[in-house]
Amino acid sequence: MSRKISEQAVLMGSRNALVGILARAAVEPAGRPAIVILNTGIIHRVGYHRMSVSMSRALATAGYSVLRFDFSGIGDSDPRDDGLPPLESSMADIRDALDWLERDHLASRVILIGLCSGADHAVLYGHTDARVVGLVLMDPSIPTTARHYLHYIALRLMEVRSWFRVLTGRSRLIRMSMRLALYIVRLEWKSRPKPAANLASRQTIEQYYRNSVDRGIAMLAVFTQESTRQTYREQMLDALPNVPFGDRLQLEFFPGSDHTFSIEADRAKLTRLILEWVGGLSQAA
Amino acid sequence: MTPFYFGSGARRLFGIYEPAAVAGTGTRLAVICQPWGAEYVFAHRTLRLLAIRLAAAGFHTLRFDYFGTGDSAGDMTDADLPGWEADTEQAMEELREIAGASRIALIGMRLGATIAARVAARRPRDVDALVLWDPIISGTDFLPGVAAAATGAEQTIVVHGFPLTARMQCDVRAIELGPLLAAPTTRSLLAITERRPLHASLPEVPAGPGEGSLAIEFITDVCPWIWFDPTENVGAVPVGVIQRIVRWLE
Repeated sequence: MSRKISEQAVLMGSRNALVGILARAAVEPAGRPAIVILNTGIIHRVGYHRMSVSMSRALATAGYSVLRFDFSGIGDSDPRDDGLPPLESSMADIRDALDWLERDHLASRVILIGLCSGADHAVLYGHTDARVVGLVLMDPSIPTTARHYLHYIALRLMEVRSWFRVLTGRSRLIRMSMRLALYIVRLEWKSRPKPAANLASRQTIEQYYRNSVDRGIAMLAVFTQESTRQTYREQMLDALPNVPFGDRLQLEFFPGSDHTFSIEADRAKLTRLILEWVGGLSQAA
Repeated sequence: MTPFYFGSGARRLFGIYEPAAVAGTGTRLAVICQPWGAEYVFAHRTLRLLAIRLAAAGFHTLRFDYFGTGDSAGDMTDADLPGWEADTEQAMEELREIAGASRIALIGMRLGATIAARVAARRPRDVDALVLWDPIISGTDFLPGVAAAATGAEQTIVVHGFPLTARMQCDVRAIELGPLLAAPTTRSLLAITERRPLHASLPEVPAGPGEGSLAIEFITDVCPWIWFDPTENVGAVPVGVIQRIVRWLE
């Protein structure tokens, strides 16, 4: 690690069962928010391609305290003993981590960073805790749109291997075309007096984002083209039309990047983007 | 369980110490050598469980990240295989200081097994048991698969998101574990979950007075290739292999 920063292994939570690494600059400017990087799926706190480590060190070098830690039952953290279901357990873990940062490091303002499920956890938790002032969301779950399916099908039609898969019966193309048809049917269903059951999740997601906007939480949302969840830059806005994001959201799209940012150049670009965004947020505060 | 950093300032290494859960007939130590790259990421859950099981069986256990990997200091582009072997020896010293015994069991998976075998051969007085879990036996056999997964035409190739420098490619290409396996210096177990043609030429070495031995076991598990799981991300753990390793060490 750089001489300018230090890294410390920490145990947090009421049972000291949450394992994390706190990266800090030797000289830390006052008033900056702390940053917490969340797990992606069941990958431990190091992250895909060691992405969370390099990101932590870059942010710490820029003067931020950065905590990367494992949720209970993931990585090196023991499972909780209170019987909480997985989602509630993760929410409680984030609160424990923020409590520890506030108590031991006087961090009253926090930015949460997450990829995939980590982004979802950040959205679910952020609006419930006044200490959260920013969210960096990489490929969070957002509802699909008709344009998403059309984009996906158009992109795959241009690939030779897709035609090979169609001919060999292994294609996702047919499945996605079926989903588009289903989506259109559901839109028709939506016009009926009683909404379709699957819209409940869309409404819930919308509510979480609306709560975040109402609370003044700033958001940086980064989407990758290869993830198949979203295929165009504005999908988040199209999917959540009732959320008044305004200037609370900075939307970025990485064409050609895969879901885990496996290309080093993409990870470097992502880190630069986050550094710039976090810097802007710190100056605005 | 205690997570901590050890080693010198420039080469600080991250480790997790699991104290022995039961008092046995003398203090026993185990150091776990992890694989590299995506294999390290996907094997983490399995090796944590192995450490917990070893601790439950009476071993003070240390898992650690090599320089430039995991939570340890440095970048992969500054790493090399001799350095990782030195890191392993550093971890052995650290565990000795913590737990106060001298003889150590080394357990390695994939590239970590190769590192463990080399360290054990250099330090037969310090290592009293060696477990090699699907080791990379031949660098030339391993590298074609690595190269097939690589991107980038420069000297440094990128394998599943992890850089492999020209120096490290050279180090890996030079791996030839056959002579070490044929003349083991300590009691050794070769645990294989995926048969490869080169395994056919490996001879078992029976135990003799004052010499090492090599037992070869082909272990069938419902999820043998736990270290390479880029799409499923389901976290399957080969419990059968873990149980066999712990039982063999006991």
